[in-house]
Amino acid sequence: MSALLDIKDLRVTFNTRYGEVTALDSVSLHVNEGETLGVVGESGCGKSITALATMGLIPSPPGRIAGGSIALNGEELTSASEARLRALRGAEIAMIFQEPMTSLNPVFTVGAQIAEAIMLHQKVSRDTAMKDAVALLDRVGIPSPAERARDYPHQLSGGMRQRVMIAMAVSCRPKVLIADEPTTALDVTVQAQIFDLLNEIQREFGAAIILITHDMGAISEMADRVAVMYAGRVIEEASADSVLDTPQHPYARGLIDCIPALGKGDTALKEIPGVVPPLHLLGAGCAFAARCAHANARCLSEKPLLANHGHHPSACHAVEEARI
Amino acid sequence: MTVLLKARDLTVRFALGKKGLFGARQHLEAVRSVSFTLAKGRALGIVGESGSGKTTTAMAAIRLTEAAGGQVLFEGEDLLTLSDEDMRQRRRDIQLIFQDPYSSLNPRARVADIVREPMDLMEIGTPAERDVRVRELFQLVGLRPDQLNLFPHQFSGGQRQRISIARALSTNPKLLVCDEPVSALDVAIQAQILNLLARLKDELGLSYLFISHDLGVVRHVCDDVAVMYLGKIVEHGPVEALFEAPQHPYTQALLAAAPSLARRKSKGYVRPMKLSGDPPSPINPPKGCAFAERCPKAQDICRQSPPEAREAQGLHVACYFPG
Repeated sequence: MSALLDIKDLRVTFNTRYGEVTALDSVSLHVNEGETLGVVGESGCGKSITALATMGLIPSPPGRIAGGSIALNGEELTSASEARLRALRGAEIAMIFQEPMTSLNPVFTVGAQIAEAIMLHQKVSRDTAMKDAVALLDRVGIPSPAERARDYPHQLSGGMRQRVMIAMAVSCRPKVLIADEPTTALDVTVQAQIFDLLNEIQREFGAAIILITHDMGAISEMADRVAVMYAGRVIEEASADSVLDTPQHPYARGLIDCIPALGKGDTALKEIPGVVPPLHLLGAGCAFAARCAHANARCLSEKPLLANHGHHPSACHAVEEARI
Repeated sequence: MTVLLKARDLTVRFALGKKGLFGARQHLEAVRSVSFTLAKGRALGIVGESGSGKTTTAMAAIRLTEAAGGQVLFEGEDLLTLSDEDMRQRRRDIQLIFQDPYSSLNPRARVADIVREPMDLMEIGTPAERDVRVRELFQLVGLRPDQLNLFPHQFSGGQRQRISIARALSTNPKLLVCDEPVSALDVAIQAQILNLLARLKDELGLSYLFISHDLGVVRHVCDDVAVMYLGKIVEHGPVEALFEAPQHPYTQALLAAAPSLARRKSKGYVRPMKLSGDPPSPINPPKGCAFAERCPKAQDICRQSPPEAREAQGLHVACYFPG
């Protein structure tokens, strides 16, 4: 079975005052129908750029897709025309953004905004689209949907706004739904509601979900498969169980160990020292080497490639040489 | 166990607009007679959703927000009745770390001056002693001496939070109020700051009033927890008891909502307890239990009169049907 969305060797570069900087370097990801792929990493690892590239929304200039392919159902997106992309966006592939306040238009009612998305892709009257919008608001768990459809975004709470975003994103039953940190700005109780809603929608519509997050806890609850990203590369990829139970790359181990657990609190947390390096300062070696306890001379001079070293694919010399 | 800070029936009211020219002024009670005790050398976590009054409670307790009623005893002295100058002198014992490390540091000051400023204002030691102290503090929080003369924008979020901590420690405080100190940071950086805060508490014998919405973080740093809902503490007690056997339905729902590595999609995890809707408006709070309309256990009595706190399983729970 070929993947619904198949990203191969994607390379995205940006022109900056430091010269051309590679934001994504040979990123390969795929997601199948009805599956949730978790993409995890710290800020600046390229998670959101991957999502924007897939949607054809890389700001250009300064950015550009410098190589690789993105295939949706076998159709190549990197060479698709802007008109074709516009037809696909919303209908076949949709995105839920991190900040529901800034991604809704403040001067239109939420009902009108959802109806607009429907009318762009389906030949229906405004009345029908508005009815559909109300039905969608009901579906995503908004109480008294007919009245709420006449509300403006500022009249709704953060959780409600994110539900509106989800209603808009699923309005045309897309095959692929990209959720970029959909709950970062929300309370844990609301986060739980949004996660449960995404899972329900997936069961109902069979959509493939790409969940972008920095939280391994969210991955555990939501994802079937996980890709760990660091400094613009995928450094580990496997089933969620495999990554969570037997993480290979020291960075993946670090991300799991540094979460304060609900169960016990006495021991010191394992920390990952330092920060993600700026992309223009990446050298020839492994981008994680400076923060890694297992780094040696080879790590500093040679970039590790994603390969299976026994358990599941990871990009680490130390794993390959069985040093950890 | 010596008590450092004790709040009794602390209430905070904010004035709202009038209804018409001759209408009565409405008030919003953000904190509704909250009582808690913080012992020396311990950390008290305050958790709850946004709008539950966590930050307002802490700010009122250290007199940065005006309280409408109640008492706050700091080492036995009521902070709310101190004169302005006495309160200013007291401030050296009470310091604050903010959530956002980007907006809480002056972008035009060198970080050594930022850390030094509280000592200048409080006139602690001679200028030479202050310089020595700044260097000590830098080392204590894990910054290098060669970074002394840099500006805040030259640091990452985690390092800025270290600067904030160094500034807070410069007056040798007894109480540190931490208002969501790690929620703006990446997970990997969170761990660095949490470990630092835990180490400082042990080494310097500090007490923390620790505000957070992240239960895992509170579990890690705090000794005691108070759970707030719509301006009231609904459950409080030692951290182990509260996390192992929460008695209030709201605490149970909060714990069920927190993401955890133990909850796997592959193992068919389904949330046992779901909270729907949002908290009610604090402008006209329900006369009974504020949580009643979202609570699976609610009965008629819950909607009629608010439950008083009572002991259950080593915790103080404001609920008619704990457990």
